[in-house]
Amino acid sequence: MKLQNLTLTTTMSSNSDHNNRSFVSNEPQQHQSTAVIVPPPCSHLVEFKAGRGATAFGKLLECIRVRPLGRASVPREPNEVFRCSACRQASQRVYACVSCAAVVCDTHAPDHEHNIAIDVDRAELFCCSCGDQVYDRDFDSAIVLSQTAAATLGGCNSLCAPPPENLRKRRRVDYRPWTPDSRERALLGTNSSLLPGNDEDLSSNFPVGLKGLNNLGNTCFMNSVLQALLHTPPLRNYFLSDRHNRFVCQQKNGVHQNKNERKNKNPQRLCLACDTDALFSAVFSGDRKPYSPAKFLYSWWQHAGNLASYEQQDAHEFFISMLDGIHEKVDKDEHKLHSQDYLEPGGSSRMNRGMWHKNPQLPIGSGDCCIAHRVFSGILRSDVMCTACGFTSTTYDPCVDISLDLVPNHEGSAKTSTKTHHSCNGNAESVSPGQNSGTSTLMGCLDRFTRPERLGSDQKFFCQQCQVRQESLKQMSIRKLPLVSCFHIKRFEHSSTRKMSRKVDRYLQFPFSLDMSPYLSSSILRSRFGNRIFGFDGGDGNEPDESTSEFELFAVVTHTGKLDAGHYATYLRLSNQWYKCDDAWVTQVNENIVRAAQGYMMFYVQKMLYYKATEKQSG
Amino acid sequence: MSAPDENNKSSHTQLASHFFSELLDSVIMDVASESHRIARLGLDRNLDDEEEELRLSAQARARLADPSNSEANSKYVVDIFGQTHPPVASEIFDCMNCGRSIVAGRFAPHLEKCMGKGRKARVKATRSSTAAAQNR
Repeated sequence: MKLQNLTLTTTMSSNSDHNNRSFVSNEPQQHQSTAVIVPPPCSHLVEFKAGRGATAFGKLLECIRVRPLGRASVPREPNEVFRCSACRQASQRVYACVSCAAVVCDTHAPDHEHNIAIDVDRAELFCCSCGDQVYDRDFDSAIVLSQTAAATLGGCNSLCAPPPENLRKRRRVDYRPWTPDSRERALLGTNSSLLPGNDEDLSSNFPVGLKGLNNLGNTCFMNSVLQALLHTPPLRNYFLSDRHNRFVCQQKNGVHQNKNERKNKNPQRLCLACDTDALFSAVFSGDRKPYSPAKFLYSWWQHAGNLASYEQQDAHEFFISMLDGIHEKVDKDEHKLHSQDYLEPGGSSRMNRGMWHKNPQLPIGSGDCCIAHRVFSGILRSDVMCTACGFTSTTYDPCVDISLDLVPNHEGSAKTSTKTHHSCNGNAESVSPGQNSGTSTLMGCLDRFTRPERLGSDQKFFCQQCQVRQESLKQMSIRKLPLVSCFHIKRFEHSSTRKMSRKVDRYLQFPFSLDMSPYLSSSILRSRFGNRIFGFDGGDGNEPDESTSEFELFAVVTHTGKLDAGHYATYLRLSNQWYKCDDAWVTQVNENIVRAAQGYMMFYVQKMLYYKATEKQSG
Repeated sequence: MSAPDENNKSSHTQLASHFFSELLDSVIMDVASESHRIARLGLDRNLDDEEEELRLSAQARARLADPSNSEANSKYVVDIFGQTHPPVASEIFDCMNCGRSIVAGRFAPHLEKCMGKGRKARVKATRSSTAAAQNR
């Protein structure tokens, strides 16, 4: 059962875009989701609320105080001791009756005449008759509002600040199946040709697009990433749908193919997207001989001059560089967004200006700039909380991947002292199953990535509320998931003096199926406020759909060997079968090999993709 | 606390025990209350799926560690298409910079000199420290 979105009735601003979700799930969700299930109230709670309605807890709520970054509770005077009215014991666990304010301990609670009480130290409702903690939406909402009020500046709620324009969800449209009509069929027939290969050919048993890449001299770092990208579903679909036709693009740039030219220094020719288009054409041609991505290397070296050398490079660096290269080709006619700093009066959320690359009209990561960002770009949310007053400053930054430190789950390493296991109000750390064995897991890395981190005393932030520098907590979360999530494991540690470089060989367990919902801003925020029943949305008017958090592994880039003398290879999952792409060699492997491999970059794609309504007005 | 009096010591110990118990109870109650809420509101992660993934990974590693298993570290004989490939890629094509015919497996070092990039080809020693750090 989905929770009604309460935020619309509270502090959520009215200027949020009213593109309400058209997709409504009527089916019970199979998997755990970010949505809260409101447990049915016990009969005593129902009875209690029946007479009083929404103001049932009114007087009680006035007594509740919220500590900065702490939890809500009924405060006591310094010397005040709550004693049970029945046994006069001052136990740790006391309940105050909501009706008559009498204090009882858990032993004598059942004897009390009234049913509903409150756990004084934890601000949790307790039913004396049932002897159990009970939950109420109205009560929780009120608590959360007190908590968020404490975390904001003069009423402006930075925790629910309207999101940047590009974050708002466009209306989803239903999938409509399409088959070509007779005219389209004729068009297809005259304008396309069948791929070579017959039924007896070995190669027809395997998916099209499976093809080795020749190593051009220490270029396995490039080959491994290219293989992953060639089989990244949205990217593959884009290029195979001719969305960037290299001939049209080159023609538009006024380039003439002249094979007689020996030296080609024409800068207009450089378009990494065109080279990518050529790569896709070659690899999906049906021919199974290994392909030499020589032209691609040439173009990439023109784009990334500082990385151009015959030496083993880092695959992740290449990945970033290549996405950047594809991004550069922005069609200036299509830029949409206004240059906008999302600074509210007194508020603190902003788009990081440093990330606005080249074309200031289009922030990187909006997804509207190029296919690379539409596929890989997500948005990270960073909250910095003042430990003295709880004021929270929020920023959003785009990212095309997430780089994770590799440490054992049990935190045995001598990491920097700034990281502690600080538990914010109600942020119960669920013990991951792998914790005891010390095996590092991808989810463990993501847990620590989204954990509240106490910044060192030398990194005090200026708190707008306190008006002084204070010690603070920082917490990351994912505001928007990309279509394809790339996780990069930081296995290579460098320092400016080469001698300190080393590789971390430790095994990292990674799942084939990954649910990202615990790392979303909505989940992190909810957890920060004690997991109360409230419409936490992480920053906009719409709660993210559960199904968009489920991801599936489709490619793993692995590194074997030493830091300077190592080798990259890629495992690909196609049609539920795993293949190993090791430069020119493509072999079939059992999934066990993949599970046990040393992952360096893992690529996950959303299990369910939706169509979004275009912004253009169309009939 | 340093008084040698036995009674005093024992009652101090008792008191200390009592305080400790209360603190411990309080902490336990905190965790219980939070976990109860998480469970009742359906927020606990799909631990079953996670455990299953961990189990499969552990199983996979155990199988590969088994010396009798020939799957791991087997040299390539043929690829899935029945092809073999030499250690150095032998395809020959023209360099798009200078036009010469180059063997694929040696294309990168050739291109480096051809384009005037890279350490050896550079005339000026202008490598910045960032470039040095990036190129491992």
